[in-house]
Amino acid sequence: MLYEIKNVVKNYDGRNVLDISCSLQKGRITGLLGPNGAGKTTLLEVLAFLTQPTSGDILFKGDMIDFTKEDLVEIRKKVVLLHQKPILFSTTVHNNVEFPLKVRNEKKSERQVIADQLLAMVGMERFSRAKAHKLSGGETQRVAIAQALACHPEVILMDEPTASIDIENRVIIEGIIQEINRTRGISVIFTTHDRDQATRLADNIMYLNEGRLADSQNENIFSGTIERDTERNTFFITHNSTKIPVKTEKAGFVRISIDPAEIKILQKVDNVRSGCTFKGKVVQLTDEQKYVRLLIDIGISLNVILERAIYLANPPGIGETVFLDLSPEKIEIF
Amino acid sequence: MSFFLDSFKSALQLIWSLDPDLLVIISVSLKVSFFSTLISSLIGVPLGLAVALGEFRTKRLLITILNTLLALPTVVIGLFVYSFISRRGYLGSLGLLYTTKAMIIGQVILIVPIVTTLTLSAVSRIDHRYRKTAMTLGANALQTAFVIMREARFAILASVITAFGRVIAEVGISMMLGGNAKGFTRTMTTAMALEFDKGEFTMSVALGLILLFIAFSVNIVFHYFQGKTGE
Repeated sequence: MLYEIKNVVKNYDGRNVLDISCSLQKGRITGLLGPNGAGKTTLLEVLAFLTQPTSGDILFKGDMIDFTKEDLVEIRKKVVLLHQKPILFSTTVHNNVEFPLKVRNEKKSERQVIADQLLAMVGMERFSRAKAHKLSGGETQRVAIAQALACHPEVILMDEPTASIDIENRVIIEGIIQEINRTRGISVIFTTHDRDQATRLADNIMYLNEGRLADSQNENIFSGTIERDTERNTFFITHNSTKIPVKTEKAGFVRISIDPAEIKILQKVDNVRSGCTFKGKVVQLTDEQKYVRLLIDIGISLNVILERAIYLANPPGIGETVFLDLSPEKIEIF
Repeated sequence: MSFFLDSFKSALQLIWSLDPDLLVIISVSLKVSFFSTLISSLIGVPLGLAVALGEFRTKRLLITILNTLLALPTVVIGLFVYSFISRRGYLGSLGLLYTTKAMIIGQVILIVPIVTTLTLSAVSRIDHRYRKTAMTLGANALQTAFVIMREARFAILASVITAFGRVIAEVGISMMLGGNAKGFTRTMTTAMALEFDKGEFTMSVALGLILLFIAFSVNIVFHYFQGKTGE
């Protein structure tokens, strides 16, 4: 597990702007959705170890983070936060990308090579000698991504990476996000207002409202296409070809929402309904007082919420195989 | 009016002829001001940065004290330093009184608060994202401070120039701690005061013109650098 966040509260002027418990998996793209003032940016700053929570514990790769310790610098080097409107130092584009390597005491010759490669990756090599503070918003964002990659991070946190930039740069940046996740295995956590963008990019989506993980009804949203087979059965196909039976007259590209409380975990495997039963693996368990939340990987990550008593009657542990029943009637399509 | 014009004319002749007495006075002035500004910058810039970036309980109190010190009159500093370095003072045995070193000590006390408070406000005005960016890119506290100093470099330079302007035009400390000894501790301002007392306006006007010229040159250099940031 990449992050384990346990009862983390951040209080500003007597108001809790963040009050959250959750876990984030390694190597994933996680989208944080929520309105303005939901605490998204604060959460990112906490995840970047730049803001100390008022209370609660954060585990990073299993290690407890002590914000009072001086050696946070070392842990910070594994995590990079990209601001919504990143600011570049008032020097050349190349020097900006070199900066993280310089503070890591890399050799000058190596710095040059790496910076050139990264600038090429974000398509900004032509601007290498340009003054960084003269770039447009989208170009600045791309250079900032190259700068972040120069840190060899395990995690990149992005605060609204494509807000207030032109569509051309938005497409480029979304491509870069997917590429760095796929080719470099970097975990990406980004915030957005844009539900479409979240479903398009993220492996899993978290909803934040007033500093808390929001109502579960909005979870389990996936985008994909509707297909029909020869027997006129209708399926929803996700980006990684997971096939879920649905009932709809719609066709083409749609989004579906599955209420986590409506997903059943089958007690006996002989209750299997053909097509509606999915075999999955429990990847995460979260205690939510009266409920237990399970994250189950059936090809896509599904949040499932069980009443504590029901969970305790037959408690699957992390890594165990379970069978889920997804009724087509309960899947909302929009 | 003719009196003024005559003085002005003679002053220009004095400058043009590179009067040896005049040159010694200018060099003492520049030397003392240069070293006091240099020492004050070495103290004031890091101090201003530390106060601006640090988070500690007595921060507001410290800023209030620094702001109060801005109003410190030169004669009070003169008196204060004199009490330490005069024969009867704690540091009397060092024989500092009526030397350029004594003047530098007094002037440093005068302008450290200026450099510190102006650096402090320059750094506070810098976009807070620079700090977070440097930190998230892996810079340690010192490297982060350096980044911020770099971004605030022109405003910090302005604070140093302001401090230089303050000491080159200062008279109280130079007079009380330097003693206005000809050829040793006589500066442009103390010489002007003396020549004025003697009724010798020519030298006073010549020195005044040079003082203005120095201030003007320093400002031109400053504007040149300031213009570079906008590019």
